[in-house]
Amino acid sequence: MTDNKELNSPGYEIPEDLQHAVSITTIDRLYNWGRRWSVWPMMFGLACCAIEMIAAQAARYDLARFGMEVMRPSPRQSDLMIVAGTVTKKMIPAIVRLYNQMPEPKYVVAMGACASGGGPFKEGYNVVAGVDKFVPVDVYIPGCPPTPQALTAGLMKLQEKIDKESIRKVRWYQKGADSVELPIPVLGPDLMDPRRYNEIKMLAAKPAEPATESKA
Amino acid sequence: MYGKGIIKGLGVTLKRFADTYLDDIQWWGRRYYKAEGIAHRSSKDTRGVFTVQYPEEKLPVPEEFRYVPFLVYDDGTDGGKEVRCTSCGICAKVCPPQCIWIVRSNDPQTGRPIPEPTEFFIDADICMNCGFCAEYCPFDAIIMDHDYEIASYQRNVFNMQQLLKPASYYKSIRPLNYQRNDEERRAKEAAKAAKAGAAS
Repeated sequence: MTDNKELNSPGYEIPEDLQHAVSITTIDRLYNWGRRWSVWPMMFGLACCAIEMIAAQAARYDLARFGMEVMRPSPRQSDLMIVAGTVTKKMIPAIVRLYNQMPEPKYVVAMGACASGGGPFKEGYNVVAGVDKFVPVDVYIPGCPPTPQALTAGLMKLQEKIDKESIRKVRWYQKGADSVELPIPVLGPDLMDPRRYNEIKMLAAKPAEPATESKA
Repeated sequence: MYGKGIIKGLGVTLKRFADTYLDDIQWWGRRYYKAEGIAHRSSKDTRGVFTVQYPEEKLPVPEEFRYVPFLVYDDGTDGGKEVRCTSCGICAKVCPPQCIWIVRSNDPQTGRPIPEPTEFFIDADICMNCGFCAEYCPFDAIIMDHDYEIASYQRNVFNMQQLLKPASYYKSIRPLNYQRNDEERRAKEAAKAAKAGAAS
């Protein structure tokens, strides 16, 4: 069901008699078109949303129609991490580590209420209120759990996002490090984000002020 | 005999495989992308296995299908929106994950509360689609939606503008529920009018 209409219209007019012989496109479009139809998700499920992900992957809804059929069992071979389910504080270090191990380009889809915002466990002592606090999320799919069709709609949204990227601007072709290396959060009674260590240190060093403390 | 179970199981698989193609031939050209084909494939008479060609064809959802709720408004006499919600806050109280936030409104002159919300937020990233809000709402103002294609690039916190949908939409997605609720409302109004008439 590949629609090549957009791929063939980079803004140059092709004369009528040449339309079936000549095709003009841009590198960007070709590159994005190639990537959008071969997004390989990671075989990685956390809770009940994973069941819906499996249903979407299986024959009835068949993500193979979108080039997403190969669930890679290793982060080294995958482009897309579908965070399907409740992310506990114990699990988030592993998720960030898996994200770091994925080669660029990499995308994250927060599937379901729990992954995108904590869901019914938002106030829980052991649940991360949204995986986007630790890894950059591209698409949020609400629902508890989203049906296979809703997940497919979310993945199509991701494909639209891939379409808008330009080879000149994407971060993995920029100078510098190949990939973003996210600090792995430290598991403890309160999950600590290493990116906020300085902030935490400053707060700890500050002499206790009764007025501000009562406010907080 | 050993292996009988395996042969039997493979036979089931083979039967479904054959059935798929038999049904395809029987429904040649009508099985996919057509409303009657989708209806047939969702029915109990369908045979074999098949793929739902999702973006082109969608499986019809049952009437009681629940997704993130929306607010109902009636069309007012002057073309405005008559929001059914009275900001009583029952939905926010019964919501198990507490994803509803209502800002109540006051009369600017007297400062007394008026039954209309200024703002109404539903955090779809917390909502677990249980339907308690719709179940408990005394005014049928909040209804579970059927639209599941709401994935987006940022967190989904819906405000009142995004949540408001007309009563005609409610009627189109849940005809039986709408009819029942409508009858109940009419009966209640009639009883109220009769009571008022008797008192005067």
